Amino acid sequence: MTPKVCLVLQNFASFNRAWTQILRNLGIDYTLCVATSFTTSASIQTPQGAFAAGSADLRNYFRQFDAVILCDNTSSLSATAMVNYSVYWLSWNAPEDPAFLFFNPHFSAAITDSGYNSNFPSDFPIVRPNPSDLAGTLYAADGGSASSSSPLGVPNIGGRGACVLFLAENTRAHVITICNSHTNNIPYYWRLDTAKHSTLASTTYTHRVARNGRAGEILAVPAPPTSSEDTETYPNDCVIAYRYRNIFWLPHAMVRSARSVNLWDSAVDSFLFWLLYGLQVAGVRPRYKLPVQMETDHPLEATVPGAPFNHSIVTQMSILEASWIWMRDFARRKNTAIVNGLVVGTKYRRLNWFYHWHLLYSSSRTPTERDAAMRVHQILLAGHREGTTPCGVHDHTFGVGNGYWSSAVASSFVRHDGMRYGAPNDVPIGRGRCCVAPHVLPAGVAGADAQTVQVGDTELVEWDFTERTSGTSNTFDLPLDSIHAARIIIESEIEEMLALGFPDGYCAGHKYTNTAANNSGGECYWQALKAFGFRGVRSAPECNASYRTKRVTPNRYWNGFHLVPPMGLDNVGDSYSWGLYYPGAPANRDAVGSYQLDHSGDISANWTTQPVAAWRAYRRVLCQLTGNWLFLTAISLGGAYFHPIACLMVAAPSRVLDRFDGWNILNAANQPHYNHAVELLENMDAVVRLLPDVLYWGTITDVMDHRERVMGD
Amino acid sequence: MPVRFLRNASEIADVSWETPLPVQVANAKPVPADTLLVATTTVDTTANRDLLGSTSTELPTLDGCMQYRKLVWFYFRASADATNYRVLARATDHNGAPLGTGWQEIVPATTLPGGANTHNRIDIPASSDGYYDQYRIEVQRTAGSNYNLISKIVGVR
Repeated sequence: MTPKVCLVLQNFASFNRAWTQILRNLGIDYTLCVATSFTTSASIQTPQGAFAAGSADLRNYFRQFDAVILCDNTSSLSATAMVNYSVYWLSWNAPEDPAFLFFNPHFSAAITDSGYNSNFPSDFPIVRPNPSDLAGTLYAADGGSASSSSPLGVPNIGGRGACVLFLAENTRAHVITICNSHTNNIPYYWRLDTAKHSTLASTTYTHRVARNGRAGEILAVPAPPTSSEDTETYPNDCVIAYRYRNIFWLPHAMVRSARSVNLWDSAVDSFLFWLLYGLQVAGVRPRYKLPVQMETDHPLEATVPGAPFNHSIVTQMSILEASWIWMRDFARRKNTAIVNGLVVGTKYRRLNWFYHWHLLYSSSRTPTERDAAMRVHQILLAGHREGTTPCGVHDHTFGVGNGYWSSAVASSFVRHDGMRYGAPNDVPIGRGRCCVAPHVLPAGVAGADAQTVQVGDTELVEWDFTERTSGTSNTFDLPLDSIHAARIIIESEIEEMLALGFPDGYCAGHKYTNTAANNSGGECYWQALKAFGFRGVRSAPECNASYRTKRVTPNRYWNGFHLVPPMGLDNVGDSYSWGLYYPGAPANRDAVGSYQLDHSGDISANWTTQPVAAWRAYRRVLCQLTGNWLFLTAISLGGAYFHPIACLMVAAPSRVLDRFDGWNILNAANQPHYNHAVELLENMDAVVRLLPDVLYWGTITDVMDHRERVMGD
Repeated sequence: MPVRFLRNASEIADVSWETPLPVQVANAKPVPADTLLVATTTVDTTANRDLLGSTSTELPTLDGCMQYRKLVWFYFRASADATNYRVLARATDHNGAPLGTGWQEIVPATTLPGGANTHNRIDIPASSDGYYDQYRIEVQRTAGSNYNLISKIVGVR
């Protein structure tokens, strides 16, 4: 059975292309139908003709679909029309009718269209929002504060959400959630008419989407608090998602904007959990599930002891150790792989004491510190071999520290010894002065030092490397713009991985790595990486910043080599996190500041006086980052990552793996304890369990496989 | 024992990732054009802003385009406010490195055709063939207010 849905929209100029991108990635066929207006007199233009919105012809047309999705929404409850034409569909409840998915539907009492009001079902159990009586018809959500602009349009920052309880699944998950919003920029949840709901909930109803065989079903409500500190509660008649017969009344899923979505950077839509959930509960069975996976950069590293935590190196290592034991076990239990970009190059080049190699072997570290680091290293090593924490090269040690080709020249570059490109071998470090394709190269022309180089589809014979060879030294200025440079660099990285005890430098069977600074270089690096066995790497679209002369190829797939889009999920915007929130923290050093989650100052103003502020921060951080991660998983098909050393020092050293409990568990800075790895992975696991037909815990190999599967679609 | 096959009529080659066995795909049709870019650009008065929003003057908008004889730029502009566009291009060596800094300006600053809410098309280059490796396409509003420009660029082989 081919999954197929119908998208109804009014205007392509405000149509978000993420709707169709996600359906393509899921292998769900779709048809776009355009409403001629927002009113009940609209016609719906279908491939089979234009049908009146309430006509039997349209109803029959819709019956070929698994679901009909309404794409339009508004941020003003005062609007008199938005999806008025859909009111007729609320009564199309026969078993032959499809499921209808309404996201952030506009059903305000401000609608003056008599056709709408007279056809709106009298037994519909959600109170129609009234802009003149917001407090009487809706519940202000997420602290009730106003965002600085419409909360419906925020991308990867500024999210609003809740811990949501999904009743049938008995599962709690933090997801970005706005049922309706208004021009005051406050998010709202719905108010249930309990008498009408009670009637519906006791009315037998037959439709494939009615899991409980009843006409009405509360799908999701704000989860009750788990701590007395968390005073942000909602009345019992507050509802977030509801099924009315075959009609799903769901929160906002997609901003109404002509956002492009493609294999370039796209504006993040962090609301799309609700689209995935809608597809799940409507029984739209995608051809493909989407693999969920997590990556880390710098899995073993230290930071200079200092404010606000003043952790010793040994304490830092113990936090990492406990977290890595937990992450390894999580990966084993969930059949995923947490792939890690392990900082290399420091054996030869950058000698900073806090990098992986030096923590293990530098005599400037005490034996106790080295032992503590070695325990983390051994977890990673064991996890690499068993497939739970595979590691690959990640090199910040040349150019300006931003990885492959991030500057024109790496001054005083230090290479490894031996192997093919190490000292004392005299190897090219730039392209030959003469490069000619072999099929047009006259006999006898090429010099004695000629060698054949292939980059992509181009094969050339290069010769005359005068002043473009390494000599026998291990130190020289290395131009970064050729395959010769790439080979030297990558071989030195792999040599270090082998010296560290890893059998390879590309995450074992995944043949992938997280590039430093998300710089994949350019064609010459991609070719060299392929030759060393890599199948793909993570790459920003500007793939050699801050030099900035290159972009990834348009489809991010170069001669069979993947250039996987990145997304950072750190709980900090710069350097090391000071926590979920920290009064007076430097800019971008706490999560709330980094992701602009302090709406109307309702966290910062209350942090020291109201314990609920910490819970609010916790909720918003998890909602935002889970939403961002879902966007990457479902839209970009990329690699999400965080930096353990930057994110995990917020944890209480004696209770590293404890779950967040507000001010009941304090960290070394006497602020609320929070373990980013545990919380983020467990929250996403709840989401995966909620969406068994859509998501599964997979690996980066699954991601690359899926990219190949759908890129031609 | 490697598997070998006859390549290019006279050459014996080992089967490898780089030299896979030649196959004939049934029912396959050649695809002469590829979608290279879809982007929404906020057109403002910033000089040197490309379709992807970057003002880094050495950064290409499109890279790896040597196989394309021509780029076809389709766009929908939400406003008729006066706007200039400029197209720059250059070749790279086989490593992907530009032959030098700077660009060949193949279209100097020119008025962007089309009115408000209109669909338009520009061929790059307008005549002859492209085959450049890198292109940079810049837009700059010269009057009026910011607006959205939605672009699609197709590479034609």
